[in-house]
Amino acid sequence: MTEHGASVDPKLLEILVCPLTKGPLRYDPQAGELISDQAKLAYPIRDGIPIMLVDEARALDGDQPAKS
Amino acid sequence: MADNENQSAAPFDRALLRRRRDRAVAQWPSHNFLVREAAERLVERLDDIKRQFPMALDLGCHGGEIGAMLKGRGGIETLIETDLSPSMAALTRRGQADGAHGLARQALAADEEALPFANERFDLVLSCLSLHWVNDLPGTLAQIRHCLKPDGVFLATFLGGETLNELREAWIEAETVEEGGASPRVSPFVDIRDAGALLQRAGFALPVVDSDTLTVSYESIFNLMAELRGMGETNVLRNRRRTPTRRATAMRAAEIYGQRFKTPDGRLPATFQILTMTAWAPDPGQQQPLTPGSAKQDLATALHTKAEKITDD
Repeated sequence: MTEHGASVDPKLLEILVCPLTKGPLRYDPQAGELISDQAKLAYPIRDGIPIMLVDEARALDGDQPAKS
Repeated sequence: MADNENQSAAPFDRALLRRRRDRAVAQWPSHNFLVREAAERLVERLDDIKRQFPMALDLGCHGGEIGAMLKGRGGIETLIETDLSPSMAALTRRGQADGAHGLARQALAADEEALPFANERFDLVLSCLSLHWVNDLPGTLAQIRHCLKPDGVFLATFLGGETLNELREAWIEAETVEEGGASPRVSPFVDIRDAGALLQRAGFALPVVDSDTLTVSYESIFNLMAELRGMGETNVLRNRRRTPTRRATAMRAAEIYGQRFKTPDGRLPATFQILTMTAWAPDPGQQQPLTPGSAKQDLATALHTKAEKITDD
C-alpha cells in the first residue's frame, strides 16, 4: 500500500497505535516516520514497512524514550 | 537472586530471537517446511467458519506463508502481516502480489508482546507458530482480544508440549552422562491442558484447542539442528548455557537419539505437536451457558430411563 515511505495508507493509520503507550500516531511525510507524541518516539518506515518496534524508534527532543 | 527472578519473569531473550529470525531470512525457502505445513492446516480451518473477515491480521507472519495461501478464503479483503523481524517483514513484502484474489496486504514489523493496534479493529487474528517464544502469553492474548472486534475470531497454531521430545530426551541424557548435569536445551512449550485456560483468562469466549502431531524425519540429529537454525528456532532461553557444547556431548546425544528413535529406514523422527486454538472475542449475541438448575426437562426423560434413588448397601 505504501512506496518507499512516501505515503501511508489512511486505512493503516486508523488501526495503528504506539506499541508502548497505545496512544495515537501521526504521520510525518517529510521524515517518513510515525510519531507518538505521548511516548516522544518516532517509528521509521523503511521501504514501505512501518517498523513498530520500540527498540528501533528514534527518541524525539533528545529525551530518552519513555521505556517501561 | 534478582537475576533469577528476572529469568523467571522473562524466560526468552526476544532480542536474540529477532536476530535469529533476521538471519533465517537468507535460507528461508529451504527451511520453511514446518511453517508452510502448519499454515496450510490453519487456513483450512477458515473454511469451517461460515463468516466473512474483511479485516484480518497475521501475527508473526514469517515469510508471508498464510497471505500466499489464503486465495480468497474467509472473505479477507485486507491482511496486515507482522513479524518481530523487520527482515522477515521485508521478505513477506517482497512476496506480496497486491490485489491477487482481491486481497490487499501490508507488512509491518511488530513485537507480539507490544502490539501496535488500536482496540476493536480486526475481524480475524491469525497466528502460525509464532507465539511459543512470547514471554507473557496471557498479556499477548489479552492484547489480541482487545484488537479484535466483538465476535471477532482468533485462530492460531502453537507448538505444543510434546514438540521435539526426542531431542529434549537425548540432550538431557547426554549432558547428564557426559557432564554430570543437564541444561535447558529445548524450549518449554504450552501444554494442551493449559491452552484453553490461558484463552479464558485472557477474556476469550468459546475457546477450543485441539492437537495434531506432525512427524518429520531427518538423516541425523545434526540435520535436525541445522533445520531448526534455518528456521530461526534455536534456543533463545535466557538461562540457556552460554559455553560451547563439547563434542563428546553432542556425539553422545546423536548416539542416544539414534538408539532410541531410529526408524527401520534408518532415519530419525522429530515430533512437532501442533495445537490449534480457536476462540472468539466476547459478544452479547454469542451462545451463553444456561444458569445451573434452569433445565426444563429432567435428565431421566432425556435418556428414556427412570430416575431411581440410590440406596447404599
